[in-house]
Amino acid sequence: MAVGGYVSDLDVGDRIGPLAYTMSKFVVREYCHANELHHAFVQGVDGPIAPPTLVHLDKLRLYRHGCPKGTGPNARIHYEFDATIHGAVTAGERLTVAGEVTERYQKKGREYVVMVIELRRASDDALLIAYKDTTVLAYRKSGEAA
Amino acid sequence: MSPRAPLMALEIGAELRSAPRPMTRERMRWYVDVQPTVAADDGRIHTQPPTIHDDDDYARKQGLPAIIADGMISTNWILGLFFDAFGPSLAEKGRLKTKYIAPIYEDQVVIAVARLTARTAQADGGFGYLFDVWCEDDTGKKLTVGDALIHAPA
Repeated sequence: MAVGGYVSDLDVGDRIGPLAYTMSKFVVREYCHANELHHAFVQGVDGPIAPPTLVHLDKLRLYRHGCPKGTGPNARIHYEFDATIHGAVTAGERLTVAGEVTERYQKKGREYVVMVIELRRASDDALLIAYKDTTVLAYRKSGEAA
Repeated sequence: MSPRAPLMALEIGAELRSAPRPMTRERMRWYVDVQPTVAADDGRIHTQPPTIHDDDDYARKQGLPAIIADGMISTNWILGLFFDAFGPSLAEKGRLKTKYIAPIYEDQVVIAVARLTARTAQADGGFGYLFDVWCEDDTGKKLTVGDALIHAPA
């Protein structure tokens, strides 16, 4: 188990969470503003809906909790986003999020880490978003000079 | 808003396309800044140490020629196509998958595209609409690829 160290140490079977938090209007609107999503249903005053892409920042939430030492020696590069949406996440909703590293492999000189994340409604444990994230641990290939 | 009516009007092969947008330094930085801002969730803007998305020197130390965009910006621009066309339906049920196959550099022009590839009846009486999705530059080179499933209820 590599939880408690660097993100780059994470290995298959490592689990982080569940962590509980409340989705705020500020978070929904700020994230959508940063991504130029200016639609009323994400920017409005009453019960904006979170974009499913916001689950990407739940990965960072899990990293901060499970990997307090930080990223590791190199900057990560996001490779793949894969979210299945089962229900809407509305502002004000109490949520839980948990992640598990399911794969770690090398391909063409780069190291990939796959984390499967589940975002659930806290009140009834309903699965709202199932997210599979694939990240490359460094842009530079192994063996290349720094 | 029900997405079914505008979806039903789409023929297989129909495309949704965004206007071309340059991936400016500011657009890259917005995604950098939103990460600690969301984490703090206190109504104020927060920043973070240099990243490969907002600091050229740091990016070069990581082996990149210059800063590159976070892939999630592409994913969100694709999501925006569906929000424009069908309202919030993809935030309620469906699937969005994107893979970042080429770096996006500062000021590179990006166009988000979704092409309807299939329409399938669902067990609940609704329909599923499957799209190929991608972002391309102004030469047609694909930068991000993937697919999306939009669910239209009965």
